[in-house]
Amino acid sequence: MANTNCLRCLARPAFPSPNILNATTRAGMGIQRRAASKLAKPSNTQGRKNEKVKGQKTLRIKKKAPVKTGKPPAPGERKAMRKRIVLSNTNALEVEGLRELDSKMLGEWEESVVRELQAGEDDLVMQGALGLLEGEGGEAKGEAKVVGKVVALMGSTVDSLRAVEAFKTTQGWGLFRRPGLLIREESVALSKKLILSEEGGVLRLVIDGERGTGKSLLLLHAMATAFVRGWVVVNIPEAQEVTNAMNDYAPLPGTTPTLYSQPSYTATWLSQINKANLALLSEMELTLTHNLPIPLQSNISLSRLCELGARDPDVAWPVFQAFWAELMAEGRPPVLLSLDGLSNVMRESAYRAPDVSLVHAHDLAIVNHFVGYLSGEKELVNGGAVLAATNRSHAPRSKSLDLMLTQLLEAQVGEEEITEKDPFEKGYDSRVEWALGVKEAEASVEADVEGVETASSPSSVKEVKKEENVEAAVEKVQTVPGPVEVLKLKGLSKVEARGLMEYWAKSGVLRKTVNEQEVAEKWALAGKGVVAEIERGALRMRI
Amino acid sequence: MPSRLNLLGASRSLTIRVRPSIASHHARTLPVVSRRGFAEEKEQNAPTGPNQGGGLGHVSEEAADMSEITGETGPDLSQGTPVQDILQRDEEGRDKAPEIIKQEIDGKKANAAESTTFANLLSLGQLESIAAGGHGTDPVTVDTVGHKYGLPDLPLPKNANFKYRYDPVVAQVTNLLMKDGKLSVAQRNMSFILNHLRTAPPPVPNPARPLLPGAPPPNHLPLNPIGYLTVAIDSVAPLLRIRSQRGAAGGGAALQIPVPLGLRQRRRQAVQWILDAANKKKSRGSGKNQFALRVADEIINVVEGKSSVWEKRQLVHKTGTSARANLNYRPGGFRR
Repeated sequence: MANTNCLRCLARPAFPSPNILNATTRAGMGIQRRAASKLAKPSNTQGRKNEKVKGQKTLRIKKKAPVKTGKPPAPGERKAMRKRIVLSNTNALEVEGLRELDSKMLGEWEESVVRELQAGEDDLVMQGALGLLEGEGGEAKGEAKVVGKVVALMGSTVDSLRAVEAFKTTQGWGLFRRPGLLIREESVALSKKLILSEEGGVLRLVIDGERGTGKSLLLLHAMATAFVRGWVVVNIPEAQEVTNAMNDYAPLPGTTPTLYSQPSYTATWLSQINKANLALLSEMELTLTHNLPIPLQSNISLSRLCELGARDPDVAWPVFQAFWAELMAEGRPPVLLSLDGLSNVMRESAYRAPDVSLVHAHDLAIVNHFVGYLSGEKELVNGGAVLAATNRSHAPRSKSLDLMLTQLLEAQVGEEEITEKDPFEKGYDSRVEWALGVKEAEASVEADVEGVETASSPSSVKEVKKEENVEAAVEKVQTVPGPVEVLKLKGLSKVEARGLMEYWAKSGVLRKTVNEQEVAEKWALAGKGVVAEIERGALRMRI
Repeated sequence: MPSRLNLLGASRSLTIRVRPSIASHHARTLPVVSRRGFAEEKEQNAPTGPNQGGGLGHVSEEAADMSEITGETGPDLSQGTPVQDILQRDEEGRDKAPEIIKQEIDGKKANAAESTTFANLLSLGQLESIAAGGHGTDPVTVDTVGHKYGLPDLPLPKNANFKYRYDPVVAQVTNLLMKDGKLSVAQRNMSFILNHLRTAPPPVPNPARPLLPGAPPPNHLPLNPIGYLTVAIDSVAPLLRIRSQRGAAGGGAALQIPVPLGLRQRRRQAVQWILDAANKKKSRGSGKNQFALRVADEIINVVEGKSSVWEKRQLVHKTGTSARANLNYRPGGFRR
């Protein structure tokens, strides 16, 4: 029978009325019904298949239900495990002959800095050329010995660095016996600049570079240098933690525009600062009088002051301000103020103002404090440095920051053509320019000169006045510090790459002969020595 | 131009030649019909005139005959003669020679490396070894002469093929770790596992669960994570699997037949068991590397003899031993 829907009708006849059907169709239906009944009943043969036959040995691996043993991790334990920082691997071999980044090494660099300064003066007065040449040769030799070598960090430095959260989970500290740092040319230069800035003349520097070029590690090197030199280090380890609206916040009374403090974050920050600089702060006593919401003894140490602030988030911000005022008092050590992840603070934060608009990151009290020093508006009176590192792997794009860094770098190199603003781009942020100390100086000069010009008139008296004004403007320009310096990090040189790989091999974690060919291969495959890529390929066994 | 020194030339003058041990099956008869390719100029079986064929040989043979008459040393017929040598004797040919050869004869293009003898190459090689800081007496090997980067060392290492450049165990385990075809994630997990093995404390093996004979001592394992992984996998890898032959045992029951496994198959089974055990574990932390962490812990458990994988292996081996009587089963029935 040719049925239109024969496949379906096997199970379920589409036209069930038997009255219309003739004899032949009836016979067909009969077949269909039998087929349908067969489909409906499952055959019995399947049930027999799995029955065990007596005396037969069959392999059966039973699936057991997962046994619930042990209690689940306590609240916070999982996160603690994720954030745990391991700084030692007992399996790794001890590297012999490893120098430490100590005051002796920094002293050598200081000597070379002094020598360079003297050399500059000598050049001016044309004196002692022979001695100078000898000195330069010796100094260059001493540095060349250290550059490209890995140095260990001292135990006290490691504790302090751990306290300021300078070590990150993504870095490979846990593979070696003890924490060590590769000395690069850039890090020697930075250390020297830091040493120079102790005398006054604050170093304001932004460290930029491709992903994995060692920006955070250079920042760590700067902090280690500062700890060894006896500075106070105040570090914001992750800028995104300040701006991503994960902390409580409150408007600060009496501020225009309104600033927002973050009490809990400030409290933890104070305890970190205290822990990291304990040896220094516990010996410094209060010298100023403060108007704080809590009663304060006059002879307590700065360490105790930090403790008081860390204990009570409500007073944390006023205590921090008092602490900072003490640091800026006369006779205090230099201060290193640093931040990692600059682009996070160069945009609007995720916090909301009462009118539901987004709060700009510079209106957060902590960021405002940092940016004030980065822009040069406020000065570290006892010397020191303000350092910021950008982040290129997990960071928001800040168009203004990218543009400003490009421009500053071009100006630093002395290129004739400076990249201009994209006229069709709306995402620029003028506060970023101010924060990097750019617009402020230029704008002030222009405004002053313009003011002078509009006021000028043919009379001779006013001519004189104009000149005075211009002089004043020039003076003002000189007092206003220029834009920040930019340090653009690139890949390692082959010598540095080799030193690093040799250290890995000596630690027993790189099981290869480190020769010229191997180094050249890894260096080239890592995009001309991008250090994280060398590590990924050679050390982490990431294929 | 290749060097004129022909090593095979020496054997040609010998009267005894090695006969091929296997006779060629080609017919020795000459083709009756002449075959001429499109590129050939003349017919091979062209009718020969009185002056053609059997008279003078080619230019080198002629020169050799002439020199025999005049008593000079002619060209060696056992070797091919470079066209430059022929042109030296042949003035007419020199005029009709191609431009390149004319230039070469004029000395405009002096390419030492191309038109030099073996002796020259040898001395060039000696000069190069002197330039490289060695001595002129240093042996000049084949790879220093005529090769810009030298020849590779033979035999080629196993990982020289780009398809097999990684350790076989690592490559296999990586592929088995892969889910949804995400190889990169699997590679990241593999890297995490190896680094975890490297940083974990050395394992304490259980004497009841002996590792592979010849395995390195446990305190050597962490610094060789690939070896660690290999020891763990190869130690629990089963030697056989049980194939169930349906209907062979009679009464509808399946007959258990042990089948030996190859190396990759054995490892695959071991890794599957380890992954099963790791999947059943619970994570103690959070983040994206939890699966890899569980696998790494399971590998450590295997080496320490704590893993349930050992029991699975034992079960398979026991069944295989008891079912060895079924080995002589063939699809038609039991073999006698």
